Amino acid sequence: MLVVAVAPFMLDSYTLSILVRAIFFAMLALTVDILWGYTGVLTFGQSAFFGAGAYAAGLVFTHLGFSPEMAALALGEALLSAGLIALLVGWLSFYHGATPLYASVISLVLPIVMTQLLFSGGTFTGSSSGLTGYVSFDLSLEAWFWWAGFALIAITALAWRFVHSDAGRLLVATRDNEMRCSYLGINTSTLKIGLLVATALVAAVAGFGYASFSGVVAPELAGFVFGTEIIIWVALGGRGTLIGPVFGALLIECASAYLGGSLPYVWKLLLGAAFVGVIVLLPQGLLPALLARWLPKHWATSAKPAVTLVEAAARPTSGAQATEAVALRGVGKHYGSLRVLKDIDLVAAPGELVSLIGPNGAGKTTLMRCMSDGAERSSGTVHIAGNDIGRAPPYVAVRYGLGRKFQTANVFATLTVAESLRIARTRLDPPSLWRRAEQLALPAYALAVLQVTQLDKKLDTEARNLSHGEQQALELAMVLAMEPRVLLLDEPTAGLTLAERTLIGQVFLDLTHRFGLCLLLVEHDIEFVREISTRLVVLHEGHIAMQGSVQEVVESELVRTIYSGAAATPHGASA
Amino acid sequence: MIIPALELKDVESGYEQAMVLRGVSLQIAPGEIMALLGKNGMGKTTLLKAVIGYLPKRAGTVQVFGQDVTHWPAHRVARQRVAYSPQEQALFAELSIRDNLRLGLSSDKGFDEGYAAMTEHFPFLAGRLAQLAGTLSGGEQKMLVVARALMMRPRLILIDEITEGLQPSVITRLAASLRRERATHGTAMLIVEQNVGFALQVADRYSVLKRGEIVAVGATADPSAEQIINSQLQV
Amino acid sequence: MALLLDILTTVAILYAVASGLLLIFGVMKIINFAHGAFLTLGAYASLVASNLGLSPWAGVPLAILVGALAGMVVELLIMRPLYARPLDAILATWGLGMVIGQLITLAFGREVQFVASPVQGTVNVWGTDYSAYRLLLVVAAAVIGIGMAALLTRTRFGLITRAVIMNEQLARGLGIHSGAVRFITFSVGAGLGSLAGCLITPLSSVDPNMGIPWLMNAFMLVMVSGASMASLLLATLLFGAIQVVVSTYFSPILGGLAIVVLAAITLRIRPKGFARD
Repeated sequence: MLVVAVAPFMLDSYTLSILVRAIFFAMLALTVDILWGYTGVLTFGQSAFFGAGAYAAGLVFTHLGFSPEMAALALGEALLSAGLIALLVGWLSFYHGATPLYASVISLVLPIVMTQLLFSGGTFTGSSSGLTGYVSFDLSLEAWFWWAGFALIAITALAWRFVHSDAGRLLVATRDNEMRCSYLGINTSTLKIGLLVATALVAAVAGFGYASFSGVVAPELAGFVFGTEIIIWVALGGRGTLIGPVFGALLIECASAYLGGSLPYVWKLLLGAAFVGVIVLLPQGLLPALLARWLPKHWATSAKPAVTLVEAAARPTSGAQATEAVALRGVGKHYGSLRVLKDIDLVAAPGELVSLIGPNGAGKTTLMRCMSDGAERSSGTVHIAGNDIGRAPPYVAVRYGLGRKFQTANVFATLTVAESLRIARTRLDPPSLWRRAEQLALPAYALAVLQVTQLDKKLDTEARNLSHGEQQALELAMVLAMEPRVLLLDEPTAGLTLAERTLIGQVFLDLTHRFGLCLLLVEHDIEFVREISTRLVVLHEGHIAMQGSVQEVVESELVRTIYSGAAATPHGASA
Repeated sequence: MIIPALELKDVESGYEQAMVLRGVSLQIAPGEIMALLGKNGMGKTTLLKAVIGYLPKRAGTVQVFGQDVTHWPAHRVARQRVAYSPQEQALFAELSIRDNLRLGLSSDKGFDEGYAAMTEHFPFLAGRLAQLAGTLSGGEQKMLVVARALMMRPRLILIDEITEGLQPSVITRLAASLRRERATHGTAMLIVEQNVGFALQVADRYSVLKRGEIVAVGATADPSAEQIINSQLQV
Repeated sequence: MALLLDILTTVAILYAVASGLLLIFGVMKIINFAHGAFLTLGAYASLVASNLGLSPWAGVPLAILVGALAGMVVELLIMRPLYARPLDAILATWGLGMVIGQLITLAFGREVQFVASPVQGTVNVWGTDYSAYRLLLVVAAAVIGIGMAALLTRTRFGLITRAVIMNEQLARGLGIHSGAVRFITFSVGAGLGSLAGCLITPLSSVDPNMGIPWLMNAFMLVMVSGASMASLLLATLLFGAIQVVVSTYFSPILGGLAIVVLAAITLRIRPKGFARD
């Protein structure tokens, strides 16, 4: 702040004006960092929103003249157009199942289309030479510098506060593991669209400011090449740090202004080479690399407040408990002509523990996928607690009460245990946009899982630093934190020791018998299944070959034939 | 002293966080067939992947015919005439039978000869060279996997759960083919299985893997082998 | 008639430009944003050949050589560490494109230059006089397409390459050195990009940034084609035709946007684009 306050008295006017321009670019760099560094959405298109803001100012001031009312109109138009474009682009880019590459592709198309439209605008947009010579705010250079400088500080501070709040952790969660987010009931598409709109608005304001200050707008401001330049600032400064991109933008823009004049090609060459070098060798960027060298390690972690776990208040069960926790009717799935599931009818009630068994390739995991993701099945209906999931993505089934634990631990690599659990509670306890809560309320059974696995002593450990078994337990605790009514578990005992298996078996029995959850298990370990299941379902070649009590199924001739030769059951060994 | 076809000494390996193999030692003599048994999730597939070179080894050594291949990339290990057949996606479904078999060889020389030998092993291959592998039935696909492995006349074969989901008649045919290949060319084999019957029928010796450690080794000819194996598999 | 020929030749040029990008994307699942720079390299190779007073055809082998050599260096130094980071690979190759562009600027200046066409005059096609060189490009694109198809389906190297595309891990387990396949593919793809640049120089001017618009169109075509030469042909035919029609009857600016916009919409509706299931 002090630097900004006194800088105008120390610097010559050329440097100052360069700095003001760079400050507007730095705001833009912040938006790219939020999207790319924190959320993992690589975007080449933020320049288009900057251009929209700049042209709003340029067009209004050129064609309607300048007055305070017109300035307000221009700003309003900047925000409106950028917001609408962002909505459209977001809708295009972030549908469920879109790849990260697709979003990047769209972000490339946007500035290309924008510049072509500006080119074709004739005298209205000034075509390739843009608009110049319009009247704008009558401010001294120093005043511009103060306005812009303090605005940048304010925006950076707000962004900092947001990304470090509980809600801001959602961005990192989306970047680390979007699928897990969806299976925690979070609609990541809406999240990303909202984020894109918000960053587009900031970019538009920066563009508005830039155009008002410089008195020039040109199609390049909205172009794709400018879009890649922003990425270079962010990459060199250090993605995911906020401060790094700001300094990256300021320093590189100032250096470009000085060196670009005397050594234009060599300077761009060096910049390009530095960019390639950083991407290949130092993906985290220069600032974090320097900080890691000069600052002690605790600097980064000390800021996190300690979190205490508390038991969540029991929620009133809404309305009458559905008698069918999960109901599949006529569910089929085929890939081309290959039919993986055929006409599956399966109903399970609250308090039941149903185990799905069958040889590999029988369709067990596919069936679980069909229960949770509406887009998966080819035919039939799926109801969770009485609600038809239709063709909706997983977060909808999750909102109806489904929880799914995957076979291999599916967690957020760079989030701590406490942060991961907080993300899992997003839907039940909406997180704050500004703060980090000090308490984390979890249902009793989730707390129990944390206690028996001693994860409650590792709340500040990042998930990637946990052991394999601890990650499995964390995933289970996250799923339970959502207070699901139906729990799908894919081979929960794989790779566990005998003691751990006994422990987890006890947890499952508690969940069904004490808390009335409905559990569906895919499991190979027949011994384990026998001990805890209330019912067995045998899947074979995509259809339900048999279902019934443990006794009936284990002793049936049919099951022995299906497992013929496979020694996984003690009975089949002699085949 | 005979140089073993495959020798693992205290091998530790696994995936990023998960240590799956916790110090596995194993020896297979030239011309010997070893069955590796164990339930799902015990590390059988991981062991094969560690041998062929898909997974890095954190400790221990792997030797193939006396050659230390511990830190070799997969393609170099395979070029030691080691044939590896994974459990899933073992074929190029969109390639023809001919192309799949060609990929078993290091050059197209010897294709006709090898193909002739394979049609003897598996008569269904005759005259169907142009058919896409993905259109074969499950059993035929498994036989094609074995045929591809045998094409290069390997010194060592690593096969992951070849009997999964197969008809008993196909299993019998595969067992006969593997035994015959060993009898005529002295090929050493490491066969990962869940099917104890098949394992006892094909192999000379067995090992049981449990939570990343070998807990039992013995000769399949031993009358108590089946009992030992089953008791190890149960708990 | 002229419209049909315009479509045919435009499609041929687009196909020639996109094929190298497709090859690299197919094998490595990596988008080479330096493709535009390789194309520019090829254009300057042909400029150098013509400035040296060599035969107008000498630019072709020179361009292939320069492109392939550049591809080899880039694969070894830059691509290797990035195979596991596809988004970063886009950025690094883009940065590389910047570097190549600046090197060209330093060596040749940034002004627009021209190369004479090796084939002058027009040919009468069913009553329409048409540029002979543009028609020659159709032949060249066909040779590239057929040559690549033959390489991929008729040779052992092609078989190995397809095996790596379909299932790299399995291919490695069968003794295929996938690193070598990547190296060769990247070099061939870069050489093809360079060749395309050399072929289009007589039609357009040469300048250090000429590759970027081509890169965008080729990139979008590859995105909708998956990894198949056949679907690339289909996509190029369809979108190329629309581009020409829109440019001719409506506006060249809208025509220039046709490919990127249509490809983006196609991907939104059908994420696999023109690739088969």
